[in-house]
Amino acid sequence: MTQDPTQDPLVTFDGVAKRFGSYTAVQKMDLQIHQGEFLAIMGSSGCGKTTTLRMLAGLEAPSEGVIRLSGKPINDLPSWSRDTPMVWQSLALFPFLSVIENVEFALKMRGMGRAERRARAEQWLDRMGIAEFADRNISQLSGGQRQRVALARSLVVEPQILLLDEPLSALDAALKVRMQSVLKTLQRETGITFVYVTHSQSEAFSMADRVVIMSRGKIEQIGTPQEIYRAPRTSFVADFLGSSNIFPGQLTRDGQGQPIIATPSGDFALPAGNTLGIAGQSASLTVLDTRMQIHLQPPGDARNSVAARMIGEEFVGATATIYFETEDGREIRVQKAHEDLADLSLAIGKPFHLSWSPADGHLVSE
Amino acid sequence: MRRPVSLYGLTFSLPLLIWQLLFFVFPLVFLIALSFWTVRNFRMQADFDTVNWTTMYGRAIFWQAYGTTLALAAGAAVLTSLLAFPVAYAIAFKLSDRARRWAIMLMVIPFFTSYLVRVYSWQVFLSDAGLINVMLGWVGLGPYGLLNTPGATLLGFVTLAFPLVVLLQLFSLIFIDRTLIEAAHNMRCGRLRTVFAVVIPSARVGLVIAALFAFILSFGDFVSPIYLGGGDPTTLSILITDTTKSGQQWPRAAVIALTMIVTLMVVAFLSIRFAYRGRK
Repeated sequence: MTQDPTQDPLVTFDGVAKRFGSYTAVQKMDLQIHQGEFLAIMGSSGCGKTTTLRMLAGLEAPSEGVIRLSGKPINDLPSWSRDTPMVWQSLALFPFLSVIENVEFALKMRGMGRAERRARAEQWLDRMGIAEFADRNISQLSGGQRQRVALARSLVVEPQILLLDEPLSALDAALKVRMQSVLKTLQRETGITFVYVTHSQSEAFSMADRVVIMSRGKIEQIGTPQEIYRAPRTSFVADFLGSSNIFPGQLTRDGQGQPIIATPSGDFALPAGNTLGIAGQSASLTVLDTRMQIHLQPPGDARNSVAARMIGEEFVGATATIYFETEDGREIRVQKAHEDLADLSLAIGKPFHLSWSPADGHLVSE
Repeated sequence: MRRPVSLYGLTFSLPLLIWQLLFFVFPLVFLIALSFWTVRNFRMQADFDTVNWTTMYGRAIFWQAYGTTLALAAGAAVLTSLLAFPVAYAIAFKLSDRARRWAIMLMVIPFFTSYLVRVYSWQVFLSDAGLINVMLGWVGLGPYGLLNTPGATLLGFVTLAFPLVVLLQLFSLIFIDRTLIEAAHNMRCGRLRTVFAVVIPSARVGLVIAALFAFILSFGDFVSPIYLGGGDPTTLSILITDTTKSGQQWPRAAVIALTMIVTLMVVAFLSIRFAYRGRK
């Protein structure tokens, strides 16, 4: 969050593409990573997020374009000449070395003397809360402890940037949440730029300052978690986040000349100042599932509304997710607190009217 | 609690058990008994006498042969491992999957040909009128006495063990987790240094076992010391044949054979312990 926009970016991807034979993993990508930020690169498997990270680490060579680190092109720099430590999904700890020898490894490779590197390694083990395991074998540690060894091993060289490739995916849910706060705190305290690749929205949104969403080798959107959540730029992003209802349709104007979107579920008024373009263009209207109201009768005011039958419900903690289906067969989710549902006497198959204020709608391109 | 022995399990394990009893345990027990028999007027008599042990262990030639055999076998294990490693490394890491399958097949082919034939073909190269000396003669060198030297024996041992050692090393190298190598590169460990810092420690068990096999094959080999080494210096395998030929001394030969078996067991135990050192 401390990034200064006037400062030069730490990393620049300039038209970077990566092809494996006839398969394109990353298409002409432009990306800037700022000094000291926590950047998450998110997408489903095969979207090119890991390839992007590996190109930055020098483990894959770009087929096209230039990657710059602190302004200098690093395309031709072999991975062992870069200072881009990485934490692997498998952690890639050396099983033939003890915990402290693993942490010392990178310092040893830099030619640091034995006493000094031992002291530095001990300091980091201590900081990660695993000093007591220094002389253990890797196989004697739990998943969470190994995670901390892997972090200490990468951070011991005090790099400018740390690359993380889905490091938490092997952990159970409770440990995952704990490690997320460990990571976030570490990043804030050290000021090291973190580039964190994940397929998990909760990991990306809870830790990152900025999130990059990728699909099929392309960046779909870059923004803060709030920006992306409130205003997904494409229907892919809205669909990927899964918290918005999406109505694909055509932009047009109603009888009074007001811009509307005509969808198979009905014509809906658009939020002010959120018209993507000209009438006749295809677009989708997205509405967050928390912004929708449920009524027994049509609301009959300026709100957008659609008739729908209830098809299911799900309870997680204090909120309920209720699923509806419109007459044209579109599924709609609505999230509500339990107390807001008391008067509706919900029942599967019962008809309702769903509404939202035009201001809560958000227009995205296809 | 003890598991009851099932008839099904027994049906499959029994043949192996019988085989082991017939061809390993019984001969070994017999060999031990034989080493205490005595020979009178070129005839063996069942006996319990330690004379064979004291005679053999009291002879300088026995200890010389023991030292020679141990040194040659150890030398062969080290030399074969060193020569095989670059080959196994290249097959494991530099070849495509397709080329690797071909290379593995080529490594298996030597097992189809008789070791004796391969040793004889070395004679064609090494003898005084052999290929190497002829070619050296063209540039005015030699001839050198290449045959009937310990070096030639060593060459035979390498010929014997090389394909097996390459294959054993290869299988331990193939299964190294490639991310460990990437992680080393990622921490400023260059290519060559990664071989010593990561590849060799990761493959240690397989590399040690490959060297152990080279040692075992060479330690008991009779062909190479005779046909390439010319029987001089004497190895334990040559000493066994000499002992049996001179005066029907089978009991003394049994002493040598048992000494070799115990040596191999100790070496195997020590190297496997070394291979797994520090592993849990």
